[in-house]
Amino acid sequence: MRIPVLAFGLLAATALTSPAQADKLDDIISSGTLRCAVVLDFPPMGSRDDSNNPIGFDVDYCNDLAKALGVTAEIVETPFPERIPALMSGRVDVGVASTSDTLERAKTVGMSIPYFAFEMAVTANEKSGIKSFDEMKGKVVGATAGTFEAIALEAQVKAWGEGEFRPYQTQADVFLALSQGQLDATVSTSTVAQANVKTGKFPGIAVVGKAPFDVDYVALFTNREEYGLINYLNLFVNQQVRTGRYAELYEKWVGGELPDLSVKGVYR
Amino acid sequence: MFNYTFHWNQALRALPQMLDGALVTLEIALLSMAIGLACAMVLTLFRLSGNRVLSGFAAVWVEVARNTPALFQIYMAHFGLGNFGIHLSPYAALLAGIAFNNAGYLAENFRGALKAIPDTQARAGRSLGMSSLQAFRYIVMPQMLRIAFLPATNQMVWAILMTSLGVTVGMNTDLAGITQELNARSFRTFEFFALAAVIYYVIAKAVTLAARAFASRMFRY
Repeated sequence: MRIPVLAFGLLAATALTSPAQADKLDDIISSGTLRCAVVLDFPPMGSRDDSNNPIGFDVDYCNDLAKALGVTAEIVETPFPERIPALMSGRVDVGVASTSDTLERAKTVGMSIPYFAFEMAVTANEKSGIKSFDEMKGKVVGATAGTFEAIALEAQVKAWGEGEFRPYQTQADVFLALSQGQLDATVSTSTVAQANVKTGKFPGIAVVGKAPFDVDYVALFTNREEYGLINYLNLFVNQQVRTGRYAELYEKWVGGELPDLSVKGVYR
Repeated sequence: MFNYTFHWNQALRALPQMLDGALVTLEIALLSMAIGLACAMVLTLFRLSGNRVLSGFAAVWVEVARNTPALFQIYMAHFGLGNFGIHLSPYAALLAGIAFNNAGYLAENFRGALKAIPDTQARAGRSLGMSSLQAFRYIVMPQMLRIAFLPATNQMVWAILMTSLGVTVGMNTDLAGITQELNARSFRTFEFFALAAVIYYVIAKAVTLAARAFASRMFRY
């Protein structure tokens, strides 16, 4: 009587404890699918082609990551404000979503080393007469809510002490408002600005210059405690640069001078 | 699987900022209600006027306001009018959208209330020598407002909750706008949204209770 009970107890105990050690990296590999949060109204990083398939730098980057892991990629369309809820509720494994690696956010999610870097440009409605960043003072300006440039621009408007800042929920709404003249100017990443002006969907706007904000380094992100996966992501970003794939993707989607992903004078 | 550690401290530190936003929310809701009531009154009079153009106008307004999403109405007030060069600020667009919606629903409330008042009362008034406008003003309208009062408080609660749609047109000073911004900055989604939900609940509940207390004092038989 006693021995079967003991044996059963041991069996139950081992069954309960051992699989709990699997971390997210294991889960992704064993499930065979990598689910990436990608923002798809943010060309050229993420958008949809004519037949509604996701395309863009971030989409290719996710596919590369899945290939390295030996699994299939699943692109989960995630608007900017929903990146974190999507991760926390377990709908996605990794964010490949042009996410600025601020210290404030790193309290909540785990960031990889930077995989891309943006410079900021000013795009203005031609009627506003704005020709440079400083001429935005006192005007109605806006940006996509929750982005690096929105936070910086809002702080700048406060520092100027005049004018108005408006955050819109999507990049498309910002350019629509700009094209209609509801906004006089916006600050966005220069890649996005050029891509949107080029589409011709937003008449009457032009990129007029650079914005003197810091370079916006963006990182892949996942759950903060998933060191195994973060470690893998860091090495993956490194390998993308080393193998020339980063330069290849940059040429394909953006073109021009390749942004440096390292910061001079400091590690990481 | 829900893997998240709550940082309530951070959310509570932003509470004063969120309460400032709640005031803006309440302000928009009250203004939209005032404008909505005035418009609904006019729409009701248009319907009663017997003039085909006026009652047609009222019917279209009510149909559109009641049968399309409030989000669409607010979006149209900002980007739709923007297309024609009419630029409403986010605040004005949000207010206009909600007031439009309120007017449509309140006009229906008034219509229901009118149905509850027997025609004979207005006729009795006419037979005492009142004009039809006087009969409406002194006999029908007071009863109509009394019957419509509690359903209208429902619309007030709805107006408070609808203000949260302002974020789609770039509103950043109301409770939803401030919450979104705090969230974008820190990624502490669940804390800030939970706190915002509690604030919305408290405002809505306070409005309902105040309206009920007001009604029980004002409408004693």
